[in-house]
Amino acid sequence: MHAAEVSHIAKSFGRTQAVADVSFAVERGEIFGLLGPNGSGKTTTLRVLLDVFKPDGGTVSILGGPMSEEKKNRIGYMPEDRGLYQDLSLEKCLLYLSTLKGVPAKEARTRLAEHLERFDLAEHKGKKVKELSKGMQQKAQIINTILHRPELIVIDEPFTALDPLNTQLVKDLMKELRDQGSTIIMSTHQMPQVEELCDRILLIDDGRDLLYGDLDQIRRQYSGHAVLVRSAGDLPDVEGVAQVVPHNNATKLMLAEGTSPQDVLEALIAQRVIVERFEIAVPTLDEIFIRVVEEGDA
Amino acid sequence: MRKTYLVLHHELVTTLTRPSYLLIAFGLPLLAVLVFAGVTILKGGSPNRGVSPDAPDTSKLEVEGYVDQAGLISIIPQDIPRDHLIAYPNEQQAQRALEAGEVAAYFVIPEDYIETGNLLYIHPSPSPFSAHVRDSAMRWTLLVNVLGGDIELATRVWNPANLDVTDLTPGSQPDQACSQPGMSCESNLLIRYLPMIMLVLFYIFIITGSSLLLKSISAEKENRVMEILMLSISPLQILAGKIVGLGFVALLQMVAWLGTGYLVLRTGGQTLNLPAGFQIPPSLLAWGLVFFLLGYALYASLMAGAGALVPKVKETTQVTWVVMTPLLAGYLVGFFIVEDPHGILATGLSLFPLTSPIMMMLRLTVGGVPLWHTLLAVGLLVLTVIVVVRAVARMFHAQNLLSGQPFSAKRFYGALLGRA
Repeated sequence: MHAAEVSHIAKSFGRTQAVADVSFAVERGEIFGLLGPNGSGKTTTLRVLLDVFKPDGGTVSILGGPMSEEKKNRIGYMPEDRGLYQDLSLEKCLLYLSTLKGVPAKEARTRLAEHLERFDLAEHKGKKVKELSKGMQQKAQIINTILHRPELIVIDEPFTALDPLNTQLVKDLMKELRDQGSTIIMSTHQMPQVEELCDRILLIDDGRDLLYGDLDQIRRQYSGHAVLVRSAGDLPDVEGVAQVVPHNNATKLMLAEGTSPQDVLEALIAQRVIVERFEIAVPTLDEIFIRVVEEGDA
Repeated sequence: MRKTYLVLHHELVTTLTRPSYLLIAFGLPLLAVLVFAGVTILKGGSPNRGVSPDAPDTSKLEVEGYVDQAGLISIIPQDIPRDHLIAYPNEQQAQRALEAGEVAAYFVIPEDYIETGNLLYIHPSPSPFSAHVRDSAMRWTLLVNVLGGDIELATRVWNPANLDVTDLTPGSQPDQACSQPGMSCESNLLIRYLPMIMLVLFYIFIITGSSLLLKSISAEKENRVMEILMLSISPLQILAGKIVGLGFVALLQMVAWLGTGYLVLRTGGQTLNLPAGFQIPPSLLAWGLVFFLLGYALYASLMAGAGALVPKVKETTQVTWVVMTPLLAGYLVGFFIVEDPHGILATGLSLFPLTSPIMMMLRLTVGGVPLWHTLLAVGLLVLTVIVVVRAVARMFHAQNLLSGQPFSAKRFYGALLGRA
């Protein structure tokens, strides 16, 4: 049984179509990345998934069926825009929101103390939320999302405003939650974090899914379109190379459609180039993202 | 149910601990009590005695002088304390006595007093609070002397009728004159304006309470907590918790204000120059509670519906005007119809649900409202509240709550009528 499953959903607001046709399924216990350019429909997709918005078409299943009041306590959601009471103290704000998620007040207090300590916020618990820095508010928001120990965590841009130390802290937390059996759906622009954390991804643009599946398979699927070459002396022009990009101590040759790495290597040898290093470049997620979105736009 | 209670509790606690609320709800009544107590102390008198209509109250008179140029005063009535009215042969001597502090003021009775009725009063610092008392001793003395010293006749002229009012309204009890504020008590400004004061107070109570709800919802929309809440609790639970929680808060303010007013009126007879036997009937307070709760439920629900459509807190002022227009119209019209509180317009507005919470209170304060009018107004109001709450509940969903669309009256009324 999937933790969440979305099939051909569509959602419009007036004349604006936010989501045209998106389908995906999220396995239990995985970290799933929802990627896409700004305005691609990610947030609307998440809201439809969480039954905040009813879809115009398609079906949604979450934790084994339609959304219910009981299921709300089993889901943690962190919207991209921080949703905290600015005029309440950090402690009161988080306690109130966690009791609304069904956690008894005493238990919520105990759990909150542990999390505040871990996130280095304990000494700020009496401060009003609006007095905290953006990074601190982001950490508070993350605590609010997980304090009731949800089975499914939906988290929109979790690394916004975090410094490298806190980014690492959140990454460790997410891995820990996954290892404990929680399912995480993460929407983000930060590809390095996706590459490190996500098992599978969905890339959407203009409200449609463009790329979906296992991250390693996707990388392999998109490799072979570039090679890394280091040579003694300058590289000559090689037929079938669309673009030449300096890359650390080597050169990345972006291959034109129909050209294979073998063709490039043969051409280099034919031109008596002394090849010191030749390897097939595994594309970064950034590169795949740009390429897929550009192809989609074309 | 538990989550609704949590929302209710949260609204109660956060609002009751807000300094601005505490200042308005309790600070203002406290200030009124302090001012009242200060005035009472400055006057050096007991506040809890009303002014008898049978004879002037002379127990707390200041020592005053008089210059009788008309040669009218031959006796000082026995009920005026000895040496409280001191005769002076001319104005110069009276002025010197005033400057020396021997008298608080003095009167000059001109030679042509009998023809003109003119009387001069010289006082260093007249106080509006003591206006009724300051000339009562001289009026009484003049009356007795004009009538040749006949105290009994003077008493009857002073108060020619002990009015015994029998109210034939079903359920009402016969009352003493001025035991109910209104036209029969128009000699006292405070009592005369009491219906309008009630109109203003109930307008304030309803608009304050429902505005709290609007601000609460629009703030949660603006800071995005609403999105978190919707993943924790149903929109209807949010709405119910907020309406009831902030209803308690508004009720508390009403109790504090009316309670203070009631206390001041009950204990402030002499200080406020209230007629003896004056009291606010408990039934008026009971109806006040009913009309406040229904009026609040109606306008708070409308405000909640509007709040669901408002993307930013700063737009709430515009929204308040749109929602409160019917109540505001009733409020303004109320000032013009207070002299004819049982006319067609006043009766109509006191039955019309959008204005009845304040207009019926105005009429009830004046008195003489048939019971069936009051019951009909309550019935119509209850029906309207049910219809509006249902309509607003339909508006209270995510599409509206998370929308960033600007507010418009057209969109609001359209949504209320189920067209959006």
